[in-house]
Amino acid sequence: MSIKKVLGKTGYGVFLACVFLIMIIPIYYLLVTTFKSPAEAAASPLGLPVRFTFDNYSKAIAAMNYLQSFRNNLIIAAASVVLLLVFSSMSAYVIARSKQKVFKIMSGVFMVGLIIPFQISIIPLYKMLAAVHIMNTHFAVILVDVFCINLPLSIFLIRGFINTVPVELEEAAFIDGSGTFQCYWRIIFPLLKPILATVAILDTLTIWNDFMTPLLLLQSSEKQVLLQQVYRNVGPFSTDWTSFFPMLVMATLPLVIFYLIMQKQIIEGVVAGAVKG
Amino acid sequence: MGGKKRTRVYFLMIIPAFIGFVVLYIAPTAMSFMYSLTNWSVYNPEIRFVGLQNFQKIFTDAKTVAALKHSVKYAFMITIVQNVLAIILAVLLNRKSRVVNFVKSLTFLPAVLSIMVVGYLFQYIMTSADGGLLNMIITFFGGKPVNWLGDEKIALYSVLITQVWQWTGWSMVIYVANLKSIDGALYEAADIDGANGIQKFLRVTLPLLYPAVSFNVLMSLIGGMKMFDAVFVMTKGGPGYATETIMTTLIREGFNSGRTAYACAFAVIFFIVVFIFSQTLTYFFNKWEEAIQS
Repeated sequence: MSIKKVLGKTGYGVFLACVFLIMIIPIYYLLVTTFKSPAEAAASPLGLPVRFTFDNYSKAIAAMNYLQSFRNNLIIAAASVVLLLVFSSMSAYVIARSKQKVFKIMSGVFMVGLIIPFQISIIPLYKMLAAVHIMNTHFAVILVDVFCINLPLSIFLIRGFINTVPVELEEAAFIDGSGTFQCYWRIIFPLLKPILATVAILDTLTIWNDFMTPLLLLQSSEKQVLLQQVYRNVGPFSTDWTSFFPMLVMATLPLVIFYLIMQKQIIEGVVAGAVKG
Repeated sequence: MGGKKRTRVYFLMIIPAFIGFVVLYIAPTAMSFMYSLTNWSVYNPEIRFVGLQNFQKIFTDAKTVAALKHSVKYAFMITIVQNVLAIILAVLLNRKSRVVNFVKSLTFLPAVLSIMVVGYLFQYIMTSADGGLLNMIITFFGGKPVNWLGDEKIALYSVLITQVWQWTGWSMVIYVANLKSIDGALYEAADIDGANGIQKFLRVTLPLLYPAVSFNVLMSLIGGMKMFDAVFVMTKGGPGYATETIMTTLIREGFNSGRTAYACAFAVIFFIVVFIFSQTLTYFFNKWEEAIQS
C-alpha cells in the first residue's frame, strides 16, 4: 500500500469516528443521566453510573401519567392513520383514473396543501373548532392531523404509485361486471400495500412528533399527549435533570423502538416521499 | 369504460376527503386573509373593516419585523448548512460496509425523535449554568465557556446547530438514494478523461443530484420558515426577542395576546413570503434541469 492510500484510510477512519461521536454523545448523555443521582450527574456527566438507579424512571412515569398519555398518543395516531389511508387512497384512485375536469380541479386544490404551510390558517381554524365545541377533544386533533397536516402528501404519494399500475386489470374486471368501487377495493387496494406502508410510516412520525396541534387544542391533563406531559413537567423539574431526562426518553421511546424494528422501511419511506414528491 | 354511473361513484369516493380539506384547510386559510383586513381582537366586540392598517402596524413594530427577519435568516442558513453537510456525508458514506451502515443509521436516528425532545436535551447540554456539558467539554480543552442560549448574538445560531444535528441525516438518506441511481459508467468515463475526485464530484455527481437537491432545499427552506418547537422550548424567543420567529409571534399574538386580526395579517405575510420563495426556487430549479438536459 502506498503512503497516500494509508493516509486516505486513516483520514476516512477519523472522519467516521468524528461523525459517530457527534451523533452519539448527546444520545449517550441523555441515556446515561437517567440512571444517576443528581450529585453524580453533576460530578461526572459522561461517566457511567456507579450505582444504577431506576428511581428516576418511576418518578417520571408517575409525573407524566404515562399510561394514559401513551394511550392518548396511540388513539390519535391510530385513528388518524386509518382515516388517512382510507381517504387518501380513494381520492388518489379517483385522481389517477378519472378524466373529468371536476376531479382535475379537486386534485389541484389538494396540491395547494403541499406548498402552503397549514400554520397560516391556524387562528381561524382554532376559532372554528371552538365554535363547534370540539375543543379539548381527541377528535379535533385527529381532524387537524388528517386534513390539515398529512392529507395532501399522502394523496400525492399514493397517486404516483397508482399511475404505475396498468389500467388493464381494472378494465378486465369491469367487463366481468364489477362496479367501480369493487375495482378499487378488490383489485387496486391490495396492490397498494407497499405505498400504504410508506404513507402510514411517514404520517405516524409526523403525528406522533407534532407538538403544536395538541398544545393548542388539548387543555385538560387527562387528554394530553406525551409531549405535553414533558412540557407541563419542565417547570417543576427544571433543576432536577435526572428526573426530567427520563421523561424525554419515555416520550420518544415508542418511536425509537419503532425505528429500530422498521429502520429499513422508514428510510425507504423517507426516500420514496422525496423521489415522488 | 366511463359513463354517468362511474362518475357518480368517483364523486362519492373523493368527496369526503375534499369536503374535509376545504372546510378545515382552504376555508380557514381564506378566512386568515379576510380577518387580516379587520380590527378583530378580544378587546374589540365590534368587528370593522380597517383596510391595510394591520400590515402597517406589523411593519412599524420592531419586534415583529425582527421575527420575520429571524425566520428568513434561519431558513436560509439551515438550508445551506444542512444540505452542504448532508451532501458531504452522503458522498463519503455511500459505500457498503457494516461500520459505515451503522454510522448512517445513527445519523438518521435523531430524525425520528420529536423536535421538542431534542430541544430540551440541547437546552441542558448548552446551558451556561454549572454542569452544562458543552461548556464542560470546551473548558476541558482549554477554551472559554460560551453563553450559547443566553447571548443575543448567538442564541439563534445555537438553536440552528441543534436542528442541523437532528435533520442532516434525513436529507442525507435522500441524497444517498439519489447517488445510488447515478450510472457508474459515467464515473469510468470521467476516469478515462483523467478527472480527479473533486472534478468528478462537480461535473458528474452534483448535476445528477438535481432531484434530491431540489426536494431537500425546498423542504429545508419551508421547514425553516415555519420553525416553532425548537425555539419555543429552548429560548421562548429570548433573550429579549433575539430568537422570535414567525410562528412564535403568530402564536403569541393570536392566542396569548388575543390580537386576532393582527396575527392573521402576519399569517398573510408568512404566506406571501413562502409563496415567493417556493416559486423562485422552482423557477431556478427548472432552469437548472433544462441546463442539464441540453
